[in-house]
Amino acid sequence: MMAADTDNTRRGSSRFEDIDWNEVEQRSGSRPLLTTIKLGSFALFGLLALYDAIRNGPFAEWLLEYISGGPQAEYTVLGIEVATGAPTFDFGSFVWDVTGVDWLFVATLMVMFWYAVVPLARNPRMTRYYWRQFRKNRAAVISMVYLVVIFLVGTIVPLFISVPTSNFQAQLLPPVFTTVSTAAGGDCLVQVTDSVCRGTMAHPLGTTRDGRDILKLVIFGMRVSMQIGLIATLMNIVIATAIGASAAYMGGWVDELLMRYVDIQLTFPQFFLFLLLSYLFEPSLFLLIMIFGLFGWGGISRIVRSEALQRTEEEYFKAAQSAGASPLYVVRRHVVPNVSNSIITAATLAIPGLILAEAAFAFLGLSDPTIPSWGTTISAGRNYLGTAWWVATIPGLFLFFTILAFNFIGDALRDALDPRQE
Amino acid sequence: MSARTLLEVKGLKKHYPITQGVLKKEVGRVRAVDGVDFSVSPGETLGIVGESGCGKSTVATSLLRLEEPTAGDVLFEGEDITTYDKAELKRFRRRAQMIFQDPTASFDPRMSIGESVGEPLLIHGISDRNRRREIVKDLLERVGLSADDIDRYPHEFSGGQKQRVALARALVVNPELIVADEPVSALDVSIQADILSLMNDIQAEFDLAMLFISHNLGVIREVCDRVAVMYLGEIVEIAPTEELFSNPQHPYTRALLGSIPQPDPRQRGESITLSGDVPSPSNPPAGCRFHTRCPDVIPPEGYEFEQRHWRSVQDLRQRMRKGPLDLETVRTAHSDAAGDGHVQTAEDGQSVLDDEGLKAGIREEFDIPQRLSDDEAEDVLDRALTAEVSDDHESGRDLLDEEFQTPCEQTAPELRETSAGWEAACLLHDEQRQRVEQPADD
Repeated sequence: MMAADTDNTRRGSSRFEDIDWNEVEQRSGSRPLLTTIKLGSFALFGLLALYDAIRNGPFAEWLLEYISGGPQAEYTVLGIEVATGAPTFDFGSFVWDVTGVDWLFVATLMVMFWYAVVPLARNPRMTRYYWRQFRKNRAAVISMVYLVVIFLVGTIVPLFISVPTSNFQAQLLPPVFTTVSTAAGGDCLVQVTDSVCRGTMAHPLGTTRDGRDILKLVIFGMRVSMQIGLIATLMNIVIATAIGASAAYMGGWVDELLMRYVDIQLTFPQFFLFLLLSYLFEPSLFLLIMIFGLFGWGGISRIVRSEALQRTEEEYFKAAQSAGASPLYVVRRHVVPNVSNSIITAATLAIPGLILAEAAFAFLGLSDPTIPSWGTTISAGRNYLGTAWWVATIPGLFLFFTILAFNFIGDALRDALDPRQE
Repeated sequence: MSARTLLEVKGLKKHYPITQGVLKKEVGRVRAVDGVDFSVSPGETLGIVGESGCGKSTVATSLLRLEEPTAGDVLFEGEDITTYDKAELKRFRRRAQMIFQDPTASFDPRMSIGESVGEPLLIHGISDRNRRREIVKDLLERVGLSADDIDRYPHEFSGGQKQRVALARALVVNPELIVADEPVSALDVSIQADILSLMNDIQAEFDLAMLFISHNLGVIREVCDRVAVMYLGEIVEIAPTEELFSNPQHPYTRALLGSIPQPDPRQRGESITLSGDVPSPSNPPAGCRFHTRCPDVIPPEGYEFEQRHWRSVQDLRQRMRKGPLDLETVRTAHSDAAGDGHVQTAEDGQSVLDDEGLKAGIREEFDIPQRLSDDEAEDVLDRALTAEVSDDHESGRDLLDEEFQTPCEQTAPELRETSAGWEAACLLHDEQRQRVEQPADD
């Protein structure tokens, strides 16, 4: 009897006409578990970043100078001991001083995880469909493998190795398995004959003029390239989507105002902005990322706007509205997912441009010289092309293949996600 | 059907401004819906029928406030929804749902069917995903699909299946009113019948009120209890379905009914063909909006016309209002029909029509007999045509305007009860009633 009763109520609750709407209206909505975890992870990240900013950031430096008159003094803010110069994480063997760029990078990776990896995993059918489309382009698949390796090595390995420093006992060593004439003027670890020197596994890709290990430089270069490419692109995507979607959805003078601002921004070269700002402040990777991230979204926002304009004419927007959806809901659930294909494609094709721009700035010596980026290393090797070809060539090859891989992937994604664009 | 009214629309208007320049100065307005009144009872289906562009769909979107109506009241269970704030409007949206014409465009291609059908539930606060899925599965089965379809995407369904899903989406929040905007127009005829009978079943089961918009009279006849006929933003007749089909009171309704193909050749009466184009709603005709095309347009006092010829004269008059006639075309098209007496041989050897022949050609072009039965009218027409062919377009036009003005363009008819027992907006009825009521006046 009891069992039959519960069965009835359970069955009853799955019929739409049995929903008690008065009860639903009074109850405040609860969030699904996954959303709670997602919001929790962002909150935790925010707290950590805030903690670091207070304890060990530019803010702390300013605070110490302002309050106690000297950078060395100790001070506590909100119970946090302010100590500039101390690494953020120090577990004895594992030391990681998280910089501003690192915080941004972690935030980027979190966003990528929650808004790309999780949705793909939750829609396995859709994921499989896109993978089948993507797989048709073999060059893109190889490129993806290459980029995943670059990404993993570039993000993980630098946490465990330190930035290579000058070593005047190991100048201009050749890569392993290659030989070079000692007449070139470099040091030599294994001398084959009087005049021929051979590379060793101690420095598999050789060393630079000041004896820094090129393999390590390349690995740090991977991190720099991934940071500039991913962070700035994500910033671009977020701003471009917000601006483009609101321009399309609100229309009228909002649209006019936003798009005319985009016109102005697109005419202003970011190169000069960087020159100007690096003259006022110190040139840093953070500054470069900010400039590209905050001022590079004009083109993508135009794409988003035009695509969103097309899509908002479709009847499913009216259907959502007639169901009672708020404008924010419609933009989030219908506009953004439906323009995401174009955004992803545009973004993938924008990443190589950013990496190349950073390399160009570094090559010209306009960026922070202490950041071991590929551009800096290529620049350091350009005077020794005749005698030590590996210094400039090896990071150059990595740069070349990375750009090529992103372009291949961009093309394949365009074909897979957006078959209308040819 | 009960006597209680669920939805009452009073004087609903929706105008779209036509703007010009940077400052968006209003230079005119498109009167898509220009004052319509009707009501729907619980469990009743009201059909709205009319040609494309007559404002049927705008009635639907503006009465649901998907577009803000320009004027008028919409009472839902006695409450005026045009004064609702956001929260009240959202609650109203749950109780009144809409079904759209194109089943393909009305589903987000990036959402599975289950998500689309469950979306109204989510919007209205049922955040438990599993509960939503249970409800949607149950509902999918009840509209004739399988519960396993819940994870499939719109492109995997046929048009008819998608319209079933659309019905499920409209039903899921248990509304009291469903507005269906051409729900079967995009479907094959064989599938239309399935969907219509499903809609009928569901309506009977849940005592739903339905506003059914269609241009297809056959479909209307199948599902509607009452029908409102719209022309250029106004309702011209509103009647119980069967009565309307057997005894239409408005000339426009008669013309619409005449347009239904009759399979039995013996049943084919003299079907009425409407002349002219539908006028633009940005500049609707004065008086009765249908007078520019009405086959029963009323002749002016003092002239005795045969109705068919009077219509033709009106066509000529409306054409002349737009500008001078293209006499060259008339000349070439009617050179042999005008009779030998009027053909002259020009100096270069070509035969041309003289003025008399040209007038005859114009009459033929507009289906006007060479001699009207009323002598006075014939005299006026002849003078006007003479002016037209002698390059004096203005005086010809003004003469026709002055003499051949129909009462239909001077007085706008109101929706009034006719002798048949329901409402129609036509001066023929008003006039008849006036004649009955005040015989001494004439």
